[in-house]
Amino acid sequence: MKEMPVNALAVDIAGIRMKNPVMTASGTFGYGLEFDRYTNLDSLGAIIVKGLSLKPRPGNPGPRIVETPCGMINAIGLQNVGVDVFINDKLPLLKKFDTPVIANIFGETIADYVEVAKRLDGAGGVAGLEVNISCPNVKAGGIVFGTDPIEAHKVVSAVRVATSLPVITKLSPNVTDIRVMVRAVEDAGTDAVSLINTITGMVIDIEARRPAIANKIGGLSGPAIRPIAVRMVWEAASVAKTPLIGIGGITTGPDALEFILAGATAVQVGTANFIDPDSAVKVAQGISEYVTRHKTSVVELVGAVGR
Amino acid sequence: MIGLEWRPPAFRPGQFVMLRVSDGLDPLLRRPFGIYKVMAADAGVELLYQVVGKGTRILSMKRPGESLGLLGPLGNGFPIPATGAKVVMVAGGMGIVPLYPFARDMKGGVLLYGTRGSIEASVAGDFKQLDCKVKHATEDGSIGVKGYVTALLKAELTTDAVVYACGPAPMLKAVAAMAASAGVRCYVSLERSMACGIGVCLGCAVKGRPHADAGNKLYKMVCSDGPVFDGDDIDWEAF
Repeated sequence: MKEMPVNALAVDIAGIRMKNPVMTASGTFGYGLEFDRYTNLDSLGAIIVKGLSLKPRPGNPGPRIVETPCGMINAIGLQNVGVDVFINDKLPLLKKFDTPVIANIFGETIADYVEVAKRLDGAGGVAGLEVNISCPNVKAGGIVFGTDPIEAHKVVSAVRVATSLPVITKLSPNVTDIRVMVRAVEDAGTDAVSLINTITGMVIDIEARRPAIANKIGGLSGPAIRPIAVRMVWEAASVAKTPLIGIGGITTGPDALEFILAGATAVQVGTANFIDPDSAVKVAQGISEYVTRHKTSVVELVGAVGR
Repeated sequence: MIGLEWRPPAFRPGQFVMLRVSDGLDPLLRRPFGIYKVMAADAGVELLYQVVGKGTRILSMKRPGESLGLLGPLGNGFPIPATGAKVVMVAGGMGIVPLYPFARDMKGGVLLYGTRGSIEASVAGDFKQLDCKVKHATEDGSIGVKGYVTALLKAELTTDAVVYACGPAPMLKAVAAMAASAGVRCYVSLERSMACGIGVCLGCAVKGRPHADAGNKLYKMVCSDGPVFDGDDIDWEAF
């Protein structure tokens, strides 16, 4: 009879060793510390913190969120404390947990990304960087880095050179062919690819006859987007040479397993953290039950759906 | 009104809970509800709410014995007034919810309650248990003075007053402005859509007034910085 592997849940993403494949998605888990009283942070595969910019950002005016069928739309405006406050105030407290901390970074120019990457590289206690390329490049007429393969290549190349840490690039789904973007960021030297970020959406308040959120449009997340995300991970897996991290509407272990079978080595839990702060740990438990029942390992399941 | 067999570990009037009204994925998010009453002998809590959408409609169909997911108590609650202060509570409509348990703790003071017209019998009965004066204003004039609750406020704004208010946005704006011009401290309990209730989704932002000592935190989160704020800290023009 086939033996179950010893570390059936363990995965490695570009040298980041995780005890299980479940990470918390940036922007849904604060700086991790906020969840200490609600969940066991040591039971997570990795913690990805709120996106960090060079300077603190106040964010957008409200309303910032609106609920949608099986999902929500947000336009928070990338509110964050800035990379220096993160390094000085948050990172020292995160170090006491036995879980890799991945810093999500963004900027309005390539120089911003590079500077944030450099500061985190020297900070210690950061296991890797996740580059959010779903922001407009103000120096390139506001074109969104993540929707243009040339811009995406430029920013990822610059970050790759600026840091010795593993680089994960988080892709925007708001493109025609995700495979083009995977190739572009891999060619630029990314060590892994995470997808998908939120899908742009809009809700209109018909009585007020205006958009439901102040930013008018926002990012759709939650279970509503899961089948789109699974499809895009499956497409990405057809060309990817680096490990993929699946994101989009995961609330349970079976949800996560769809992404793994489609080709993701790890997954991120996002919006579900808002509904149940213990969601990510429960997703990991769900994966564990499946792996035990099928006497297999996560690594064996990656991409096992076939083509 | 819904009664929950749940004993808040430590409860301050003005705090709220996040309720999961269904185990399914639609509606997806928990909803914030103010705690209306903590019942005697730790029997549980009561939430008073109005059916306004999908979530509250589902809640209204719950039957005795059903279970609900709950996170709380959350938020800061109302600050305790200084000894000797005259406590003036201003509630508009459902704004009575967080103010009722606060009023119960107050010996003396006055509760100004504004509604459109009739008051639910159970709420009217609950007022009998208060040690403070209750003054009514109704838009149709059926109970108390005819008009908005703010019409009752001016006479109460003596220099020893401290105002605690919860209600619709136009009422809060007016109350904060009246308190400010009378030089009286005013605490407001605010309401916003929330996804998490614990300060991480950053969805329930309200714009603060930039004070010299407020740092660069332009937006305040209703869930984790509030829901009770000093009226002076809110940018009422943006509200």
